[in-house]
Amino acid sequence: MDIGLVMNTMRDPAGVPAHPVLFQGLMIFTWVFHIAFVHLTLGAAALAIYAFRKAGQGPYWARLSMAMTKVAKVGVSLLIVLGVAPLLFTQVIYDPQWYVSNVLSARWAIAFIFTLIVAYCLWFAFYWSNHEGAKQHIGWYAWIALALFCLDGLIMHALSYQALLPEQWMGWYAPGGEVDMRGAHLHAIQWPRYLFMMSLSAPAVGLFLIAYAEYFKQREDREPEYRDFVWELGRYVAMCGFTVAQVLWLVWQFVHPADTRLLFYKTGWLLGGLLAVMAFWMLRLSKKIHGYLPLLGGFSVLGVLAAWREMIRIAYLQPYGYTITDYTVHPDWPSLTLFFMTLLGVGGLVGGFYLTLLYRSGRVQGLYAADRTVARLGTGAVAILALWIAVFFAYGIVIWVRNSFLA
Amino acid sequence: MEMLGMYPTFYMPQIGSAWVMGIIGAIHVVASHTSVGASFLFAFLETKAYRENKPELMDFIKRYGMFLLVFSYIIGSITGPGIWYAITVASPRGVGGLIHNFVWVWAAEWVYFTVEVIGVYALVYLIGKIDARTHLKLTWSFALASWATMLLIVGILSFMMWPGSDAWYQTGSTNDAFYNLNFFAHLGVRTGSMFVMATVVGLMVASRMKDLALRRSVVRFLAPIGLVGGLFAVMMFLYYLQTLPSNARVMLHAHLLPVYAQGMIAVFVATTVYLVFAWIKPTWVSSPLAVGLFAFVAVVGVWPEERMRESMRKPYVAGQYIYSNQVIARDVPGKGIAGEVDRIAENGLLKLHPFVPDNLRTITDANRLEAGQLLTRIACANCHSLEPGAPLRSLPDKFHGATDEDLIAAFLRGPLKHGAVPYMPRIDLPEDEIGAIAAYIAAINTGKVKATVSRVASQPVAVADTSKQKE
Repeated sequence: MDIGLVMNTMRDPAGVPAHPVLFQGLMIFTWVFHIAFVHLTLGAAALAIYAFRKAGQGPYWARLSMAMTKVAKVGVSLLIVLGVAPLLFTQVIYDPQWYVSNVLSARWAIAFIFTLIVAYCLWFAFYWSNHEGAKQHIGWYAWIALALFCLDGLIMHALSYQALLPEQWMGWYAPGGEVDMRGAHLHAIQWPRYLFMMSLSAPAVGLFLIAYAEYFKQREDREPEYRDFVWELGRYVAMCGFTVAQVLWLVWQFVHPADTRLLFYKTGWLLGGLLAVMAFWMLRLSKKIHGYLPLLGGFSVLGVLAAWREMIRIAYLQPYGYTITDYTVHPDWPSLTLFFMTLLGVGGLVGGFYLTLLYRSGRVQGLYAADRTVARLGTGAVAILALWIAVFFAYGIVIWVRNSFLA
Repeated sequence: MEMLGMYPTFYMPQIGSAWVMGIIGAIHVVASHTSVGASFLFAFLETKAYRENKPELMDFIKRYGMFLLVFSYIIGSITGPGIWYAITVASPRGVGGLIHNFVWVWAAEWVYFTVEVIGVYALVYLIGKIDARTHLKLTWSFALASWATMLLIVGILSFMMWPGSDAWYQTGSTNDAFYNLNFFAHLGVRTGSMFVMATVVGLMVASRMKDLALRRSVVRFLAPIGLVGGLFAVMMFLYYLQTLPSNARVMLHAHLLPVYAQGMIAVFVATTVYLVFAWIKPTWVSSPLAVGLFAFVAVVGVWPEERMRESMRKPYVAGQYIYSNQVIARDVPGKGIAGEVDRIAENGLLKLHPFVPDNLRTITDANRLEAGQLLTRIACANCHSLEPGAPLRSLPDKFHGATDEDLIAAFLRGPLKHGAVPYMPRIDLPEDEIGAIAAYIAAINTGKVKATVSRVASQPVAVADTSKQKE
């Protein structure tokens, strides 16, 4: 059986509704935000537990633990919703690989959902109990939740990695010629890759802490000593995290199959170089530097990682004759317009209103009265949504009447 | 080498993969509809609070919002992608077909999801921390954005039932697929239902409020919204039934209404009585009663509704062009899609399916049962469990425990081959494959093989016995 031919035959017969490279670009771009919140959540969760255990050893640990618990709580919501887009775009251009991998580990794919629900509920239980004078045993909720989050990361890693190994699919599905439809196993794990991805949680929370210290500069209830403590901790965690990540990146570099020649790709080494630069920067970081700048550096690392991840996929699949650019295209302009107009109008205006409001109100102690810009943004948000819904119905009724009653 | 673009199969004993999907789907519907409905209740209540200067109403919104954060934005937001995972493993070609038709619609919905998740945190945590007018704008924009997610997903869900006209098959346009015949009816049912669910949950939250005057005010405000929503949902449901394809109506009258109708009427009556009672005696609304009714609506109302919608679609999973067993049922010229039923009739599934071990490509006396098991699971297991007495339309039970291979084969050669059963796919197979399936089902019914065993080849006795039967 020519597995390359099989993969190309398994592509959806409807084709794709725009050029595949557009989906590829969107997949890479949206994955950056997803993985940023994955890393932040895992890092914040781990730090929340660590700080919880050290609550009696200094004035700020309990406060930091509570703050990080909240960050992880919101982070899970955002990582889930931000994960929808890259998952969607992956299914458009890499549908054969993603679907086969999921079916072959179906029970794990389903378990991912239920373990995530349990983990999130446990984290909420920890969040509700983690206040001044909290009892130590509630830490167990957090430990179990974090372990389940890590398991979910492992499941996602395995599903992604299995998708790159098509020549092994039949062996997993029918070992020794006997078909096994239980989907009971995770068939392939590349530990260096998984551990590298997980290790980025440390620098993520480190960079977040530096930005957190910057953000609260205007708040009198976040005194300078607490902000200094957070800033210094963030710098240290980020420096150590980038260093550990670099070691794991190096191990990962040398486990790529030789025939892919990935070891010689510049992008892989660029990623390693960026990690080194970030580690060195964190070592020498001055408080004069604006606290948001290191966060931008972190995003640049993730941008290169997203591109590198896609280049790895291409290198693995190309020998089988699978390239996204030869996917049949049936352009669908109306729905493409719907997406980009929604992204621009609703994402920009409504999302912009929410984020601006949260950002500005969070920097004010007490009641925040919206200034003119925010007030206009709010009015614009309601107006754009009303307009969107009106157009949706007007446009839809015309098509509905034409197709259902006049045809 | 000729082949079809079919995927490996995931088989879940007893309940089948369809029930896994159904369970996750029903949980998601309850959580998401409550969330969207609640967003409007918040907007109505907050408008009242703003206009009448009653800031105490914001306490209720905050309590309800905190409940929603856990209930809808943990369970709801995880089970949303959860449905994707479930349908991916249950019906990869089905979900692939939907995604390749509606990717931009789903992407637009994702924009709304993201806005909604940020919005719910802002709404709950900024109560009392920003000025009232700005918060009101926030709440109304959150409500409209939440409803937009429903507007977008309903078009896709109703296409799964059918496009309702020939337009999409000819043009392949997402417009024609999305604004299908039953879109508005379906939207009406869900919009009405969301108010009912949100009101029932709202009363649950209100029942825990100690301030009786506030409780009375909130319950009296919410109950009429739930009642109007329920009436609207019922009216739209009756209209929805008129927009269904003929195969769905047959399924509905023959199999579904006899089982579910009484329960659905009971939900409507019980909810109406409860909401009227709540309006008359708002302070008598207690937590156990409110929780009990919510559970009743979820289990006796939503679960059967989702099961019915799922079942009525049969034999298709999407747009009446993909069968539930992954086979493309018909041509779709607008997308360049070709039907596969006749190719399978000519060559057989074992020859065309890429995920068949080489030792099973050709049926022999030695591998007949194993090939029969594989074929049965590929062709039937998406809708039928293979264990006698199992809850998901047990295949052995459908044949009434028949052990006569010829009798089973006669069904395969007759109604199934010609597509004469409206809610079953047309499965036209070569003679040797019909024989293998018949032998396997007969062997289950005689107890010579167990359907739960993943590898019948490991049971040489069964093979030997069947060979003797053949002789």
